[in-house]
Amino acid sequence: MAKLDVTKLRDQNPKGKKTVNDQIANTAEWFDDRLGLAKGTRIFFNKIFPDHWSFMLGEIALYSFVVLLVTGIFLTLYYVPSASLMIYHGSYAPLRGTVVSAAYNSTVNLSLHVRFGLLVRQMHHWAADIFLGAIAVHMCRVFFTGAFRKPRELNWIVGVTLLILGIVEGFLGYSLPDDLISGTGLRIMFSVTESIPIVGTHLAFWIFGGNYPGDGSIIPRMFIAHVLLIPALLAALIGVHLALLVKQKHTQFPGPGKTEKNVVGTPMWPGFMFKTQGFMFLVVGVIALLGAFAQINPIWQYGQYLPYKVSYAVQPDWYMGWLDGALRIMPSWEFQYHSFIIPNQFFPSVLLPGIAFNIFIIWPFIEAKIKKDKTEHHLLERPRDNPVRTAIGAGALTFFFMLFAASATDVLANYLTISLNIVLWFFRIATYIIPFIVAAIAYRVCIELQRAGDAAGKRKRFNVVWRSDTGEYFTEKSPARSDDVDYLDGEPEESLELTPEVSKMVNEKADLIASDRNGSQESTDSNPEDLQQISRD
Amino acid sequence: MNLKNAPIKSVVLVVAVIALSLLYSLMTNGGNGALKNVKNVSADGSTTVSSTSNVSLVGSTDKPVSMSSATIAKKTDHPKFVGPLLYQNSGVRATYQQVQQGQTLFDESCSSCHGAYASGTDRAPNLVGLGPATIQFWVSTGRMPLSNPIIQPIRKPVKFTQAQILDIVSFVASQAPGGVLIPNIKGVSSATLAEGASLFDINCAGCHTITGAGDALASGAYAPSLHQATPEQVAEAIRTGPANMPRFNPGVLTNAQVNSLVKYVTQGIQHPDNAGGWNLGGVGPVAEGFIGLLIGVGLLVLAAFWVGDRK
Repeated sequence: MAKLDVTKLRDQNPKGKKTVNDQIANTAEWFDDRLGLAKGTRIFFNKIFPDHWSFMLGEIALYSFVVLLVTGIFLTLYYVPSASLMIYHGSYAPLRGTVVSAAYNSTVNLSLHVRFGLLVRQMHHWAADIFLGAIAVHMCRVFFTGAFRKPRELNWIVGVTLLILGIVEGFLGYSLPDDLISGTGLRIMFSVTESIPIVGTHLAFWIFGGNYPGDGSIIPRMFIAHVLLIPALLAALIGVHLALLVKQKHTQFPGPGKTEKNVVGTPMWPGFMFKTQGFMFLVVGVIALLGAFAQINPIWQYGQYLPYKVSYAVQPDWYMGWLDGALRIMPSWEFQYHSFIIPNQFFPSVLLPGIAFNIFIIWPFIEAKIKKDKTEHHLLERPRDNPVRTAIGAGALTFFFMLFAASATDVLANYLTISLNIVLWFFRIATYIIPFIVAAIAYRVCIELQRAGDAAGKRKRFNVVWRSDTGEYFTEKSPARSDDVDYLDGEPEESLELTPEVSKMVNEKADLIASDRNGSQESTDSNPEDLQQISRD
Repeated sequence: MNLKNAPIKSVVLVVAVIALSLLYSLMTNGGNGALKNVKNVSADGSTTVSSTSNVSLVGSTDKPVSMSSATIAKKTDHPKFVGPLLYQNSGVRATYQQVQQGQTLFDESCSSCHGAYASGTDRAPNLVGLGPATIQFWVSTGRMPLSNPIIQPIRKPVKFTQAQILDIVSFVASQAPGGVLIPNIKGVSSATLAEGASLFDINCAGCHTITGAGDALASGAYAPSLHQATPEQVAEAIRTGPANMPRFNPGVLTNAQVNSLVKYVTQGIQHPDNAGGWNLGGVGPVAEGFIGLLIGVGLLVLAAFWVGDRK
């Protein structure tokens, strides 16, 4: 194929003078001869991307990941992954002369001294929040439109794995600065690990190098996981995610010319590449604006973490918020059998996410099993087309949102000046009730939307009964409700006479019915009631 | 009705009413209850602070009350009056006139709940013996007079001037000696910020949060924001422990430590180094999460909506 292209380019330039195109063609040919790149490039350039806006949501996550990699590399140049203690001599007066860890010291210096340091750190943190937010939104799109169905179950599992890895990666990054708030989070994580029956204590002591806070080895361990192990896994899985996307081709919404056998959209070249590049700049732009103007995690104000120091109102980043909320609203139940205890933390912070992620992973198979559906699906469903799934999804989303909001019980109580106890009990009850209400409403809305068809969101039109010139009656939907029409030069005077257009329409319709009746005994496109009325006349 | 002598009659009536009301006021005010009380108390006070019992207020020049009231005090001071001590490490005493004015203010704004002599009723606690620092804290933060009897009073615009607050403090303090005196915060300028930050992390952040934004505690109680507190109020709160707050005695925090805390709260907490832009209210990751999702992801979803097809 490359050979063809090259000859074509050369033909355009018969004089034999070397142009830029020739040079590109020659270089490409050289590589193609040795590496066979043309075939892959052709597949890449011809890849069709559907045009619907919801297909861009995953790209927000993709480009946030790019921002995370670039800003993260910058941060590793300054961050010192060590828990060794030192005295702070920087410019922030409230810390001067106090004992801090090298990790904390380097993060404060990175924020307050290094040129662009704070901007890059804040961009990194905002990009992380957006990365996981975009994954969640993208996952909703895939779930509610049924894009996970056969043959794409594997890619759904890769996606859920990316979400889990992203959450772990985010939590590790949040913990690295060793400030008061992240240290509190780490303390909770130690207890959560400890709460796993039988192996918990051993596991926690092994990870932290002893009882909390351990021998300081947790920081270099988190660092290597955060900058090498998990990013490598993430990058590899994103590669797999996209490769499967190319291999299995995109899904698409039903529409004119769109079938189970084709994909209609824009090819990568020429077309989609420009759109996606522009979109990348938008993603980077929004992250850069947030990084520049919205403060995130001002760790110098929080101070060094020490186990005996604690701040109130400590929450994790939002993607861990639902786990924190679950911990908060969990009643103080513990189970004991002889010397074995299942501690309180086990249920909300080990069992709950364990069950949740496992349900996510096996959902495509659950749905296929229930619907006994073994066929391939390349056309998407609108959420209304599958009310049960939409209701379950809406209920689950509400459940997670309630848990997320429950992680802010104290902030809510403070802002709304309500007793913290009342807020807590509200969440203890509402978290289990509101999802069912939302699911029921979502189900109802889906059914109503199905019934409304294409007229969803519009008002019902009047039925107008006309009498044709030949004396026949029939009904017709009015072109627009009279009160849905506004006139530029004031309302015209009401008249009982038909406008020429309407009268023409009426007569055409009458002719049609007459010819239908003459041609065949049954009319196909008028409803029985009309016919009855006509025959009665 | 005979209206012949109506003007004379009405004049007589008005005069009679005025005369009667004057008589009534003389009778009720007769003996000057407040003054009696003050005398008794000052006699007690002089026994406890024997060496300074005869020091009159006129001599002290570093007193924080406005000079105008001090000059008035010179003229109207009761010859045998010895006012209560107001300030820690200072001989400043309340003047006779301050106590008198304070009583008037107390009668108007406080007595309906705390009783005419601050000894409490079934609606409000006894204030006698609490000391100047407590009274000044509650009134100068606007929490008293109470507008709404809720679980925990809220900070409001202050109802009195600085001098009036000191009058009220003087009156309540004149009822009994003792209690916590208004802390001396002159040492704040030479205190160390880092020590204050460290003490704040250990003693205060547990309720007021590390940024001093305050937060809800159990059962409707809350730790208020520290962002409007004056240096004196911070020190008073530490020493007196208002509402749910624990009281930190000199045995727990020395005067120097209180000074460094005051310095950290009024500088590090109230004017933090907010590099990095808008601080989102200083409430941490909850606000950050909402901004990240609503502004960050929200804008980008709109951008996707913009560049993509909608049908």
